[in-house]
Amino acid sequence: MVRVLSIWLPRLPLDRLVRRGDPRTDGLFAVTAEIRKAVRITNLTIYAREAGLTEGLSIPDARAICPDLLTEPCDPMREAALLRALARWADSLSPRVALDAPDGLLLDIAGCAHLFGGETAMCDHARQRLADMRITARMGIADTKSAARALARFGKTPIALAPTGRTSDAISALPAAALDLPDRTVAELARIGLKTIGQLYGIKASELARRFGLELTDALDRSRGHVPDPVAPYTPDSIFSARMSLPEPIGYLSDVEDVLRRLARSVCHRLRHRLKGARRFELAVRCVDSGDHLLSVGFVKPCFRIDPIVQQFARPLDDLKLEFGADLFRLVARQVEPIRFRQTRLGDRGDADDHLARVISTLGNRIGFDHVRRFRTHDSHLPERESFQVEAVAPQTDHVWHRRRRKRPLRLFPKPERLRALEPGRPPQSFEWRGQTHRTASANGPERLAPEWWRDGDARLRDYWRVQTADGPRLWLLTYPGVNPPDWFVAGRFP
Amino acid sequence: MSRRSILLQDVLKDTLCPGRHGVLTLGEAVRLTKGRIHEVQGDSADCFALAVAASLRGPVIWIGSAPDIASLNPSAVRDFMDPLRLTVIEAVSRQECLWSGEQALRAQGIACVVIELAHGTDLKESRRLQLAAEENGALGLVMISEHARTSAAETRWRCDPSADGEVAWDWECTKNRKGELGAWRVKWLGDDDGPSIVHLVATTAT
Repeated sequence: MVRVLSIWLPRLPLDRLVRRGDPRTDGLFAVTAEIRKAVRITNLTIYAREAGLTEGLSIPDARAICPDLLTEPCDPMREAALLRALARWADSLSPRVALDAPDGLLLDIAGCAHLFGGETAMCDHARQRLADMRITARMGIADTKSAARALARFGKTPIALAPTGRTSDAISALPAAALDLPDRTVAELARIGLKTIGQLYGIKASELARRFGLELTDALDRSRGHVPDPVAPYTPDSIFSARMSLPEPIGYLSDVEDVLRRLARSVCHRLRHRLKGARRFELAVRCVDSGDHLLSVGFVKPCFRIDPIVQQFARPLDDLKLEFGADLFRLVARQVEPIRFRQTRLGDRGDADDHLARVISTLGNRIGFDHVRRFRTHDSHLPERESFQVEAVAPQTDHVWHRRRRKRPLRLFPKPERLRALEPGRPPQSFEWRGQTHRTASANGPERLAPEWWRDGDARLRDYWRVQTADGPRLWLLTYPGVNPPDWFVAGRFP
Repeated sequence: MSRRSILLQDVLKDTLCPGRHGVLTLGEAVRLTKGRIHEVQGDSADCFALAVAASLRGPVIWIGSAPDIASLNPSAVRDFMDPLRLTVIEAVSRQECLWSGEQALRAQGIACVVIELAHGTDLKESRRLQLAAEENGALGLVMISEHARTSAAETRWRCDPSADGEVAWDWECTKNRKGELGAWRVKWLGDDDGPSIVHLVATTAT
């Protein structure tokens, strides 16, 4: 049984300024954002509302109504940081907290509510604590995520509860827009008189889907809990990053490397301290003239040393055109993994692994990690499926390569090449392949292979022949039995 | 004065002498200096390359274009050596091939680097590879499928399957900067179940 608590923070941008003690928030004040090509009011103080302003007014309109209005643009980065801080606080309510960006939190409170004396008491408690922090919140509790969100945003009271198992009844009176549908769909629904969620529940899903697309029926199913829609908890992973902004842009490669080295030192120090290493590092460079550039390098093994990082970034930095210089650098460690220290000085196996890993990193960073590969075996009797290639960065498994019992060519062509038989025979006595005429000196075969019928694909039997030609090359010829006249192909060549 | 210059020469000789990283000997006759670039041509060039790679210890890097890499069949590589030792690099251009080859040769702990090219390296390219190979003693093999050019490679080989019916190859040394030329008939020792390495059984000097 899932119970979801949705916390909506409708005035988050304004509350952030209130918390900061901004004196303007005690008067005619509004927070603005750019919406539909105009700067519009998104949040306003109670005084501004009393003066006759509403959300959504553009600034010139608002100034015409109320010339003394003070405004401040919203700051999504800082608001997101505040939301993350609140998510950490929400840990006190439930261990499963998800961000509902930009202005909400979702909590899976199954089994938690009784600790606060019931769901209503829990909401009261949370609202009280948020009010202490000078943050306005509205809450909704329901069996599903979207129903809880709808109740928090469109419920009649600041705290709206849907009793267990009666979610659809609780939200049926809410407007269709509460389901977080695209504006266009909501407008279309309104045009044909479908205003509430309850009206939508009354219509056959197939008809809704035909007219409005699967998006609408999916949303309805999610709100009723017919499809699973769990709360994916937000994990506060520590971020290993460092940044440096400079008063003046720098452009010399040596200076940039110096900055990188300092950033790497800071990041690596923290990584080492936690016994972690990162497989990928990203360096954001803000150039004065051409905006932000994101460079990234990868490593085969988790890396926590400064020198390899600087070394691997040398090439991407070299490729970057720093004509007018850059003034902001940020280094982030991605794919952070624990490092395993190993015993040194006993055997050189580990060293050899390290050396190889370093080459793979160097090559992979330049030509792409998908172009640096290793072989793996596969259990199949078809020659082309006996092995496959994986990226060399993929974790090593301790697998052993057993010798195959049958002779296989060293070069196996991905697509067998058709040959032209000059003198018939089985295999042809002489044939032309790649512009050259070959004469069969001796042949060994056929080796008949059945298709893997349990897989889709080529379902023909195959006969393979090892052919020694008179002039040297040893070829692997392929024919499909049952075809008349027989088609012959060169499937590969032996060394 | 003269005494000092002799000493200096000795030092230079010690650090720059061709055999600084040792010599790989296949069978009794084929000698390939480590830390150098060697070239292979012919229909069975890959067999030569694998025989060399198999007799060295350590990881092997094989660089080639997409069709070369896609057609390499590890099941047959297993007859020579453990395919897990092999790392393959799919390069999209000749330039990338050479760059990867240089980086791989320069790296520590790599035993052998095989570079598949259509046309052989010229003097400048092979010189660069040569300098890279000298650094840590990796053995570089350039497999040439079409024309060879004048290069700084130490030796050049021609390997073809022999035409007289048995599983054997003709290896011919067509260029050797510090040694003799020669031709050898190479056979596959051991039975079908356990051939592990190519051995030279007979030499027919030209």
